[in-house]
Amino acid sequence: MNNRISTSGAYQLQLGTMLRKQAGLSHTQQQLASGQRLVTAKDDPVAAGTAVSLDRATAELERFGENANLLGNRLNLQESVLAQAGDRLARVRELTIQANNAAMSSEDKKAITAELKVIRDEMIGLANSQDGSGRYLFGGTADDHAPFVVSGGNVSYTGDQRQRQVEIAPDQFVSDTLPGSELFMRVKAGDGRIDGAAATGNTGSGVLMEFGLDSSGSWSGAGFTVAFTAPDAYELRDASGAVVGTGTYVSGEGINVGGLNLRIDGAPAAGDSFSVGPAKTNDVFGMIDDLVTALEMPDDSPTQRAAQQNALQASLRNAATAQEHFIDGRATGGAQLAAMDSAAELREAQSVTLETTLSGIRDLDYAEAISRFQLESTALQAAQKAFMKLQSSSLFDLM
Amino acid sequence: MANVLSTGTGALIAFQRALATVSHNVANVATEGYSRQRVELSTRTPTDMGYGYVGNGVQVSDVRRIADQLANTRLLESGGELARAQQLSGLASRVDSLFSDKATGLAGVWSNFFDATTGLTSNAASAAAREDVLADANSLTARFKQLNNQLDSLGNEVNSGLRSSAEEVNRIGAEIARLNGEIVSNPNNVSNDLLDQRDRLVSQMVGFTGGTAVQQGDGSLNVFTSGGQALVVGNTSSKLTVATDPYRPERVRLALDGNGQQIQLNDSSLGGKIGGLMDFRSKVLDPAQSELGRIAVGLADAYNQQHRAGMDLNGQMGTDFFNIPAPRVNGNANNTGSATLTASVGDLSKLDGKNVVLKFDGTAWSATRADTGANVPLTGTGTAADPLVIDGVELVVGGTPAANDRFLLQPTAGAAGGISVAIDDPNRIAAATPVKAKAELDNVGTGRIGSVKVTDSTNANLLTPADIEFIDGTQYTVNGAGPYTYTAGQPITANGWSLSLDGVPAAGDKFSVGSTGAGSSDNGNAIALGNIDDAKALNGGTVSLNGALGGLTTTIGSAARQADYAAEAQQVLYDQAQGARDSVSGVNLDEEAANMLRFQQAYQAAAQVISTADTMFQSLLSAVRR
Repeated sequence: MNNRISTSGAYQLQLGTMLRKQAGLSHTQQQLASGQRLVTAKDDPVAAGTAVSLDRATAELERFGENANLLGNRLNLQESVLAQAGDRLARVRELTIQANNAAMSSEDKKAITAELKVIRDEMIGLANSQDGSGRYLFGGTADDHAPFVVSGGNVSYTGDQRQRQVEIAPDQFVSDTLPGSELFMRVKAGDGRIDGAAATGNTGSGVLMEFGLDSSGSWSGAGFTVAFTAPDAYELRDASGAVVGTGTYVSGEGINVGGLNLRIDGAPAAGDSFSVGPAKTNDVFGMIDDLVTALEMPDDSPTQRAAQQNALQASLRNAATAQEHFIDGRATGGAQLAAMDSAAELREAQSVTLETTLSGIRDLDYAEAISRFQLESTALQAAQKAFMKLQSSSLFDLM
Repeated sequence: MANVLSTGTGALIAFQRALATVSHNVANVATEGYSRQRVELSTRTPTDMGYGYVGNGVQVSDVRRIADQLANTRLLESGGELARAQQLSGLASRVDSLFSDKATGLAGVWSNFFDATTGLTSNAASAAAREDVLADANSLTARFKQLNNQLDSLGNEVNSGLRSSAEEVNRIGAEIARLNGEIVSNPNNVSNDLLDQRDRLVSQMVGFTGGTAVQQGDGSLNVFTSGGQALVVGNTSSKLTVATDPYRPERVRLALDGNGQQIQLNDSSLGGKIGGLMDFRSKVLDPAQSELGRIAVGLADAYNQQHRAGMDLNGQMGTDFFNIPAPRVNGNANNTGSATLTASVGDLSKLDGKNVVLKFDGTAWSATRADTGANVPLTGTGTAADPLVIDGVELVVGGTPAANDRFLLQPTAGAAGGISVAIDDPNRIAAATPVKAKAELDNVGTGRIGSVKVTDSTNANLLTPADIEFIDGTQYTVNGAGPYTYTAGQPITANGWSLSLDGVPAAGDKFSVGSTGAGSSDNGNAIALGNIDDAKALNGGTVSLNGALGGLTTTIGSAARQADYAAEAQQVLYDQAQGARDSVSGVNLDEEAANMLRFQQAYQAAAQVISTADTMFQSLLSAVRR
């Protein structure tokens, strides 16, 4: 302890105290004004570095949310297009069943044909739907041009088969809309697994009514042919033409071959044949075309009527399968939308966690800061008063 | 009687002198570096009267300057250290604010750029999304440039600070030497105020250079830097000369010119303001600039690599997205050979941004760290086929180096200023995976395309169309070649791509892989680009670009905080030293007031003595008057 202090030293000392208090007060004031505990990184370097990463993570989550919105819009559009397409196919089935009625006049059939042609055009229109920003919904990633093109009466697909994946939460991807090839072009015929048909040159009136797997579960996936050697006798042949069995035909009775059941009605003639085997793929537009062709077939003789019947039966099966195919497509899209909802919750949860952490790191505790501010300003005032008091007392004044 | 008169007169003169000194003290109460003075009084030699000694009054024996050399030295040293700490903290805080402020920092534009890239994944063909990526990339590179320019201008500020400080030091040094000469040549007649003036000059000088002053027996004051180099010895002063760095002409260094010798000064040999400037340059500015460059190069290199693996909207393979400046290599100004070194970034994960000095010993190259002098491993011979490799940088030597030629390699310093966006057509952003696969529509089996990935984007045949046909469920041909065995779950690979299938392909099923082509809205490469910021590309694959960015903020913040703490602590030490010095040498007005009263009273009493002597003389005169 020094018992001698110089006048200018005392002055400097008090001044320094006041200046330091003022600097502290100014820093607190800056914190209060900005609401942030960290004015610059030097206030807490580690926290500031962490905040940089957390800010980035928060911004990324936000962007994922925007991505999800865009994608949700497209998937919802897909959903509504597929719902409409499903309605059209339901109408196709209705019309097919109507047309299958023997009492239909050829005028009635013409009316049905006309409606079917309209539905086909509507389907093409739906398949070429846009997403509202000039891109085609069902073109895969080649979506800058209409993916379905009609030429020479046939519809061909000019998009590609790629389905985009979009990140909508960290490391969580959701598929974009299905490519048109998978929705409209790659549609299984028959019941989706097995398909059957009457040979085109059949002369009898046999109609293939139904087919399916028997209960043995022994179908190898191969195709078979039922070839009539006489109106009441048939041979069963495998894909290579080898005879694997024979039988006696009774109209409406089931025939079993290689794990498959099929039923033929009517009176086939010798030389007629019916085939059954794995379903091929067709496209929905071709399917409607086939139906139109079937309705426009002449139906004057029993043979012609049988051929038309066979074609209509096939169309009915194809339309039912296609309808299911669209339902499957909607289910896929729905699953993506559900995944988006759960991703949104995940984002929300993560974002809340991040914001809480960030706030803890960076945000100001106002209660603490305000009381500190008051304490500091009181201290400054005290220092100022003390300064005035000390500086005003001098022995010279008393002389 | 004459005795009384002479005693009174002597006292009057002495107290007059004392009052003059008090008023000198009072007048200089606010003068910086002033040491209070005190009049030393002593009795005059008494007269031997035979019966004893009769006093002859008072005399002024000395006007003394009250100073404690120990306290002064402490103040001097802590003053130099304070100047260094304050200089460092002031400049470091500026860098800290530069990087912390949202308006000038990197984090915001950095995040925007990656957001724009991620936005591309949901709308890869959209012109708006692509423009957004380009615009954000341009603002990111502009920000890199701005920050680098700001750091450059801080470097220039250091240069001019060093220049003007050297001039000041030389001027003050010469003045101190002159005063030393004056004081030594006339030791008995030195005014106190001259000594104060010299002390003030010394403290100014030490404020620039740090160090201390040592009082010599002959009264001269020698000044040394904190590294021990003599700045002033007796009546000679050494000169600080400004030289340019032998590797970097834009950079100023200081050398001490004394006794015909030139001594290079580094940041450990100087304190004070100059030491603070040098400290700032080597401990804050250079590392910040290197790391900023490393992040810029890291981003650009990683982004370029991924961008080259994608396909743009025109159906072309992606090109470089960013232009990356080559690492700087500067030859020493004293090199005698004709060699020039060309550097490029080889392995990004090994790049550490530390400056390296390369030396050719006549047969082989060796490398040492520029700051610590530690050896750095080096491989290769320097030819184009076998370049020298140091910390991920590849160097090709052109021309012929001479023995003892040196080069300074700055792997990333300044790179942030040279980075730019290489493409300006938004269609050239390579967002798509370059190849796509197709399953024929009339395939019978259940095989479907799972995913197509590019495993080697540099494969020359990558975009060549490939038709894959299954002979049966387990064998396939590619463009007629084969057959190859297909194992379910294992990808089919050829030409740098790999295709995985779901389900079971049947005999006759056909798949094809070919170029994605123009106009594709595929986002495969955009996803990869958007995730680059989180990929661990740096420090041998342990640190992501985001991590490095956060790390840079922390490093700069810590440096500024450390400097702040040091300055605050030094301020306290300085205040203590100042208090200790002032308690000895400072003027206290109350004390002076008390002294003034005391001397005033004594003066009045002495005047009364003269008056008494006069009365005595008058009574004697009137006694003898007739």
